[in-house]
Amino acid sequence: MSATVATGPALDVAVAARVGVLRRLARRPAAVAAAVAIALLLVLSLLATPIAGSPTAIDTREILAPPSSAHWLGTDDLGRDLLARTLAGGRLTLLVAFGAMAVSMLVGTIWGFVAAAAGRAVDEGLMRAADACLAIPPILLALILVAAFGSSTTTLALVSGLLLAPQAARIARSALMSELRSDYRLAARAVGAGPLRIVFGELLPNASPALIAQASLNVAWAIGIEASLSFLGLGVQPPDASWGTLLQDGYESLYRSIWLTVVPAVAIFVAILAFNTFGTQLQHALDPRQEER
Amino acid sequence: MRGYVLRRLGAGIVLLALASLLVFALLRVVPGDPTITKLGGARNIDPAALAQLRQELGLDRSVVSQYLSWVGGLVQGDLGQSYFSQYAVTTLIGQRVVPTLELAALAFVLGLALAVPAALVSATRPRSIAARAVNGATAALMAAPPFLVGIAFVIVLGVQARLLPTRGYVPFVDDPLENLRLIAMPALTLGLAVAAPLVVLLRASLEEALRAPFIRTATGKGLTHRRVVLTHALPNALIPSLTYLGVTVGYLLGGVVVVEYVFGWPGLGSLVVDAVLKRDYAVLQSVVLLAVAIFVLVTFVTDLLYGVLDPRLRVGEGRA
Repeated sequence: MSATVATGPALDVAVAARVGVLRRLARRPAAVAAAVAIALLLVLSLLATPIAGSPTAIDTREILAPPSSAHWLGTDDLGRDLLARTLAGGRLTLLVAFGAMAVSMLVGTIWGFVAAAAGRAVDEGLMRAADACLAIPPILLALILVAAFGSSTTTLALVSGLLLAPQAARIARSALMSELRSDYRLAARAVGAGPLRIVFGELLPNASPALIAQASLNVAWAIGIEASLSFLGLGVQPPDASWGTLLQDGYESLYRSIWLTVVPAVAIFVAILAFNTFGTQLQHALDPRQEER
Repeated sequence: MRGYVLRRLGAGIVLLALASLLVFALLRVVPGDPTITKLGGARNIDPAALAQLRQELGLDRSVVSQYLSWVGGLVQGDLGQSYFSQYAVTTLIGQRVVPTLELAALAFVLGLALAVPAALVSATRPRSIAARAVNGATAALMAAPPFLVGIAFVIVLGVQARLLPTRGYVPFVDDPLENLRLIAMPALTLGLAVAAPLVVLLRASLEEALRAPFIRTATGKGLTHRRVVLTHALPNALIPSLTYLGVTVGYLLGGVVVVEYVFGWPGLGSLVVDAVLKRDYAVLQSVVLLAVAIFVLVTFVTDLLYGVLDPRLRVGEGRA
């Protein structure tokens, strides 16, 4: 985002405000812990195979084995290494979640921005539409979307993204509303900046911390949606494996080995907690009145 | 007051109509025929049988006329025929509604029973160990999808301790004790899911109520701290969380889907999952709309209650 920073004294103030948010964020232990956890999750799942070996290699002597030095988290009912499968599953889950986040933020930001910038009637209509979408419990809406569009990895990301877009639209609207009234926007207009430059060069960068916070929350939500749908057998389809499908497989052999259920469940929980905490901490850092909480 | 009621009612009906359109349209945008599944896959299909089935189910008519006959039936309480089984949708819903209602009601009561004391501790003694435990547990429960909590219960109480059965359902009238043993874990799971956001909300409104001038008055006239909190702060703090009731019920309706699946509970949630797997749109669209209708109804009732309890809301509207 710093690449889009233009010149002018008003903009320096805006940049300073953004740096201030980062500094306040760094002073929050929970935010730092969440950021470290997110970084670890990303590195581990991106380097899944180099770190833990192949997720599909079968070791017939070790079926449903408990954790050992050869298989740190044990093996599944076909003798496949659970650590390798979990890390590889994380790659797919995080891919779907980040895809969903990108879709939701793209659709939501445009939705919210049009609502904020257009007249009252359009604003009212768009925000009522967002309310209507939020009235259907998300998992039910997800089930309908999956029934309609099927469940490939791409449609899963799209479906979860569309599901999360209305909330993102609300946040984007309120973030942009306050930027629209700001002095620097007036200053930018006064020096003759065109509408596109104002939107992409100034309004969006300044609204971006709020949008990044929402994006992080949306990743957390998307991980939950993917896990729920795949656990129901309606998400990622075999032979692909995500945390949700690992959980479903493990739950079926629960009475033979609890590891196959516990490991993906913990992975899902930690990932959701990390993205959720980072998002809420960033929101708090953005609102200094809540600093002391 | 009447203007307020009518406006809320109107908003609810518009929302319901929009949701019905959305649900129906989404299930019709993609080409593909749900009847093919019933006749056993895309190969070896007798075109005459397919045509007859499509005619029986009304799938040969235009989308608009299908929508109108669905909505027309809804108004008369006829939800049409399941695409897959030979039952009417109302029959299928009727079979599943009692287990879900039992589960949701118990979860709701448990959620309230857990949330109120937890919020009281957390708001009145913020530095105590109990308050810290409540805050930590709430944060964790807000993050974890309900079904993960359910799976944790299954592992700890079912598989390891062997205290409770992990799946199944027995009607309460047949065997009350077994019914309660079976419902304990799913109800606690959903109850915790309901309680967590409620604690956050209640804690905030309790903190606000405790700072209000009338609390200082109550303390000043010599009431014990306990009485001040329980009879002065708590009732006032409960009013704002009333508006949250609609959201809570929405949570329950969503949570019930996956939690029922975890515990093999034969309710509406499993019916929906089944309908998606079999592409039984007739069942799917009606159950989802039922969920939205419940949500809209609860929101409407809480809005009314709120209007009764907080007169500021209807001032100015009644005069017009």
